[in-house]
Amino acid sequence: MKDLSKPDSKVDNLLNDLQERAKELNCLYKIEELLNNADAELSELFAGVIEIIPAGWQFPEVCQVKIEYKDQVYSSTGFRETPWNQSTDIAAQEKVMGRITVSYSEEVPETGSGLFLNEERKLIDTIADRIGHTILQKSLREIFKEWKEIKEELSEKKGSELRAVIDMLERSDRKLFLYVSQKMLYHLCWNSIKEAKKLLEKFGVSRKTTGRGVDDDDVNRPVQKQTIDRIISLSHEVFRVAAKSLNEEQILANIQKWVQEDKSRFLVKVIDNSNSTLNDIIDALTRYHYIEAEGAMLSDPIEKGLRVSLIRRFFADQLEFINIAKKFIEVRDFYDLSQRMVFTAESQGQLGGKSAGLFLAAHIAAKSPEHRELFKNLKVPRTWYLTSDGLINFLHYNNLEEINEQKYKSIDEIYLSYLNIVQIFKNSNFPPEVIKGLSTAIEDFGDHPIIVRSSSLLEDRFGAVFSGKYKSLFLANQGSKEDRLNALLDAVAEVYASTFAPDPIEYRTVRGLIDFNEEMGIMIQEVVGTKVGRYFFPVFAGVAFSKNDFFWSSRVKKEDGLIRMVPGLGTRAVDRVTDDYPVLIAPGMPDLRVNVSPGEVLRYSAKRIDVINLEDNSFETVEIAELLKEFGSEIPGIQHIVSTYIEGHIENPTSKFNINFNSDDLVVTFHGIIKRTPFVEQIDALLKLLEDKMGTAVDIEFAHNGESLYLLQCRPQSYSKDVSAPPIPKDLPEEKIIFSARKFVTNGIVPNITHIVFIDSNAYSRLRSLEDLKKVGRSVGKLNKILPKRQFILMGPGRWGSRGDIKLGVNVTYADINNTAMLIEIACKKGNYTPELSFGTHFFQDLVEASIRYLPLYPDEEGVIFNSRFLLGTDNILADLLPEYSELSDTVRVIDVNKSMEGFTLQILMNGDLEEAVGFLSDSSLDMEISIEPAEIEKRPKAQVNSYWRWRLHMAELIASRLDGRRFGVKGFYLLGSTKNATAGAASDIDILVHFHGTEKQRKELCLWLEGWSLSLAEMNYLRTGYSTDALLDVHIITDEDVANKTSYAVKVGAVTDAARPLPLKSAI
Amino acid sequence: MAAKDYNPYKTAQDQFDRVAGMLDLDQATRDLLRNSLREHHFSIPVQMDDGGKKVFRGFRVLHNDARGPGKGGIRFHPQETIDTVRALAMWMTWKCAVVDIPLGGGKGGVICDPHNLSLREQELLCRGWVRQLARNVGPFSDVPAPDVMTNAQHMLWMLDEYETIHGARYPGFITGKPVGMGGSLGRTEATGYGLIFTVREALKEMGIKPEGTVASVQGFGNVAQYAIELFTRIGGEVLCVSCWDQEKQQAFTYKKQDGIDLGELFPITDSFGSINQEKARELGYEALPGGAWLEQEVDILIPAALENEINAENVNKISKRVKLIAEGANGPTTIEADEGIKEKGIFLIPDFLANAGGVTCSYFEQVQSNMNYYWEKDEVLGKLDIKMTAAFMATSEMAKKNKLYMRDAAYVIAIDRVARASQNRGWV
Repeated sequence: MKDLSKPDSKVDNLLNDLQERAKELNCLYKIEELLNNADAELSELFAGVIEIIPAGWQFPEVCQVKIEYKDQVYSSTGFRETPWNQSTDIAAQEKVMGRITVSYSEEVPETGSGLFLNEERKLIDTIADRIGHTILQKSLREIFKEWKEIKEELSEKKGSELRAVIDMLERSDRKLFLYVSQKMLYHLCWNSIKEAKKLLEKFGVSRKTTGRGVDDDDVNRPVQKQTIDRIISLSHEVFRVAAKSLNEEQILANIQKWVQEDKSRFLVKVIDNSNSTLNDIIDALTRYHYIEAEGAMLSDPIEKGLRVSLIRRFFADQLEFINIAKKFIEVRDFYDLSQRMVFTAESQGQLGGKSAGLFLAAHIAAKSPEHRELFKNLKVPRTWYLTSDGLINFLHYNNLEEINEQKYKSIDEIYLSYLNIVQIFKNSNFPPEVIKGLSTAIEDFGDHPIIVRSSSLLEDRFGAVFSGKYKSLFLANQGSKEDRLNALLDAVAEVYASTFAPDPIEYRTVRGLIDFNEEMGIMIQEVVGTKVGRYFFPVFAGVAFSKNDFFWSSRVKKEDGLIRMVPGLGTRAVDRVTDDYPVLIAPGMPDLRVNVSPGEVLRYSAKRIDVINLEDNSFETVEIAELLKEFGSEIPGIQHIVSTYIEGHIENPTSKFNINFNSDDLVVTFHGIIKRTPFVEQIDALLKLLEDKMGTAVDIEFAHNGESLYLLQCRPQSYSKDVSAPPIPKDLPEEKIIFSARKFVTNGIVPNITHIVFIDSNAYSRLRSLEDLKKVGRSVGKLNKILPKRQFILMGPGRWGSRGDIKLGVNVTYADINNTAMLIEIACKKGNYTPELSFGTHFFQDLVEASIRYLPLYPDEEGVIFNSRFLLGTDNILADLLPEYSELSDTVRVIDVNKSMEGFTLQILMNGDLEEAVGFLSDSSLDMEISIEPAEIEKRPKAQVNSYWRWRLHMAELIASRLDGRRFGVKGFYLLGSTKNATAGAASDIDILVHFHGTEKQRKELCLWLEGWSLSLAEMNYLRTGYSTDALLDVHIITDEDVANKTSYAVKVGAVTDAARPLPLKSAI
Repeated sequence: MAAKDYNPYKTAQDQFDRVAGMLDLDQATRDLLRNSLREHHFSIPVQMDDGGKKVFRGFRVLHNDARGPGKGGIRFHPQETIDTVRALAMWMTWKCAVVDIPLGGGKGGVICDPHNLSLREQELLCRGWVRQLARNVGPFSDVPAPDVMTNAQHMLWMLDEYETIHGARYPGFITGKPVGMGGSLGRTEATGYGLIFTVREALKEMGIKPEGTVASVQGFGNVAQYAIELFTRIGGEVLCVSCWDQEKQQAFTYKKQDGIDLGELFPITDSFGSINQEKARELGYEALPGGAWLEQEVDILIPAALENEINAENVNKISKRVKLIAEGANGPTTIEADEGIKEKGIFLIPDFLANAGGVTCSYFEQVQSNMNYYWEKDEVLGKLDIKMTAAFMATSEMAKKNKLYMRDAAYVIAIDRVARASQNRGWV
């Protein structure tokens, strides 16, 4: 065996160290246990400590302990003073109460750090600290106890015990005594007691002599004994005066109140001081947290006041928000919040709108006693916050302040410099405090996937629809801690950079918000979910609205709300995904489903799922069928998510064992979730509660991991895009109104409509043959292909797309109407019966996902306008557009609004809150929400669908405006294909037609010039969307000859349908 | 104005009158067959989820049961009219007669939109429908089945109500039940296979060996897929198939010079029969416009998608090589196109014969249910072959003998069978 007393090797040293650490921890643990015994006398506790300590030191056999407290000395048996000792003060409330000494009775060998180990030094300090704490606690408890006894006595016999109380106060805490007497003095003065006023003057004198405010919490004790004695005698004088003018009960009640207040006074001071940094506030909150646990309480008005101040400091200055939040968020709630905040030393930042909304909603839900059972598995994911001034600090730390000027540049310049900014940001450094904070966060999260979300001060602000303008990034958060931290820093930089992206800047300019210094808070949230195979995702997730804006049946009411849910990450429910469908549920009417027949259910079920791939550290979209085959049985509660499709029949499994993941045709229906879990009831209750308490319709994001429902976001519903209710102008001249509606109106704006396709119901019902009726449907399909996308509307009788009796509705499929901006079904009375409309049932989900609006019209009802004169009396251009259908001109009317009324377009405003809609002609275009598409980038490779072509169009216009036609020999410049037709996707080319008339040299130069653009655009597109292409421009060059012979692409120039769109050049020959 | 509206019942009666003329039926027989034999119109009160009551209107029309119990679906449709139901009931009589199954024709419906009803309300509606008719329908009188907006679930609710009222199990009361709950195996394959059985017989009559024949198919749904499978098995080659592309919202024709291969197409096809274009190209398929299927150099055209796909506009694009058109879909050929087909001398297997495999299998389901003994799939498909072959041969013989267009021949044979049954019973 080795001799352990003579450590000679590294391993032995290590073992020795470890052993020592274990001893220390054990010692500390025992002491904690001992001191936690509230009933024990101090002397017992000290004896215990003395017994425990030696075992924690290096040489227990010769270790002895002595504790001095007040006038008493407690020590190990046979204790004797030796030179080999260490000691430390025992203090309570910064006042030294005693001393603890540990020593060795004989000399021991020295180690590197002297006689005692460094750890032993720390240990003795910790023990002293704990003893101090215990002493304080005990004395407080005694004081409280005595007070209680005195109070009881007082209520029994009226005899004066006030003296005793005041004495005790003076004895236990002189500072507090002075504070209370001061308060009493003011109280008396307030009650116009003359003697008190005189006293106040005397105090004034004494103050001058000390030169310090007596009620200053941070001041040290006055040094002049003389003065303090004087003050104390004055204070006794105050109580004497009080006793004369107030009854004892009043005095005692006041004293008690002030004593309690005093304990938290520091908090009020720190929070109310507008110069306090977050650091100060959080320190104060932490202190409050501990004393609160020990029974100190804030008086009601002060607590309320503090709530408001804290809400203002952490969240927002807006009164609307504060008014609501103060009812639900208590001071103590901020302590938990403050433990997960990352900020720089001098930070005075806030947390931003998204954080505020979620924090408030979570507390509303938690403080609703009637929902305690229903909400027992309702949670909020673990979240860390980076304060809003982090961005400014980041800029400052890297000397990048000039980037703030970006927002005042022209939009073209913003486009060009944005890419650069992203790179600069990613290569910049964060202040050390931030790195340290985020490093702690990463430790807290472990290797759980996280999402980095923006929470800007402008975003989700009352009155500003600002959703999804900035980035949110998913991180798989796998690998070494260093890798994970770097990925997080990278993501934060990218989110910061998105503040300077063209779309939000454009948006802010339009909203008049550009001069605000955009401060961007960041939320780092754990992603709700479970690990399934190599993937990570929530079992399901989605968004829910307290007001339903989509009616698929006349029985669905606005108040029934709406849930859009998908399996996996909620990104596919938040965005409109044109190639896939979320399940829609009205929580107030959960059994009335959009899709009823097994065919419909299958057709409109989710086919893809968004997940985090833990192996590749990436965000991925995968086919559900494949995922289920491989990992179906691992997904918790999968039997509640999918149903089996067997030969036209849908079976709902009751357990996992009913499912054969390899061979069954599985459809996502959420049947079990809806029928067999409280989920829908929970969401329904949550939406109603939040709407009620927040005083406005709300929308929420949620995710479910199979066990718990997590709330991810909450904000007023009016913030979400395309559901804001526009005001309906009342002063419209009647002849300009085309139609109005007062039933089943949803919120929305359909602006700048250039063409109306109107099917006249009388003429339609006069058609005799089936063939003619079908032809109407086919003509609509043709018009759908040639009219400008989303700038025309379809209006016609009955149920469109119905497979039933064709004469009661135009026979179309979704492909025949998919380019319209709006579908209007007209219910014309027949006798005394008005037919039921379809509400777009046959392609309802297609309409929803493509943002095609639907409106039913009831022209025969009172109080609505239906301008048949305009619809029937205006020129019909059907025969010009489709000569082969000219015989349908009586039935199918195509109105070119602009042509029939120079400069006018049709505007449709729909306000579901008022149940009013109007379509009217206007000569000024509506410059509203709809004209600005948000650049929502929820995940790395996907930009908002509509923004693809807008960006491409913009770039094409830019190129044209820079193209010097004279230099390159260019006559004309046209746009073709998907960019022109507004159908471009993330990987689409920009098709350009150049009419060239120049020399071979010019041609070469032109090609070179365009190639340069093409390469840069491809790079920009990559950074915007993650799609990598070699070049983005597809240039077709045509000559005069082509134009003359209409060969090649030249046919597109001036064509009747799908014509190339000319763009203005800088100069042309 | 209303009288001039397009009316499906009038169209059906006109068609009957035309064939009745050809058959030279007497007035009483015409009066019997151009109208429904029995009609029930009734109300179904339902307690809605909100506690209120709502009364729905229901129908059951039995057009004719001279050849056997009525057979026909129940439609849930918001614009259901009695005339639509009458027309469809008549059509069922002819359809059962042409394949010579011992069933008559019926149809039923409720005016309602299931999109406005919860599942519970739909269940009450189904049970209410049966309660009103429990004494007038049944395995030996009138047998309902699923139709527009009704499915296996509705059938099971109705069956359960019927059996509760009658106090015993009568699985033969209704068809369209899931396998294991009284349904028949082979239903998925029935229509597609039935179609090819008739194609095989037609080729035999024309003296053409299926080996070496080339077909072009429109549609890639259930019917088309099984048709292609069987056609390839009997030696034929399918040059191309056209299908709807959900993402691009238009149809495409996928062509492979040495014939398409189901084995390679299935993995790249979704559950709606949309083939993934990109992957098809990688596999060497040529993606042509949706209408190209009709213009190919092939022997056989099989339209198995939508109605009116062969019309006046495209009938002339059909290649001279085409000898046979087999209508897998309902009504794929317009009246004008029929003329063009006749002119070109193309042999046509009309829809209600070519796709009668479905109704034949429903009949088998009823038979199996009545004896409470269920056949293996092979047995079902074997019996299907016999039925379809016989039906084809009878129709073709009628056409040849009387120099009739196949569509007319099919109507003649069907109406003749029903007329004679009615006469034999002494009704007329």
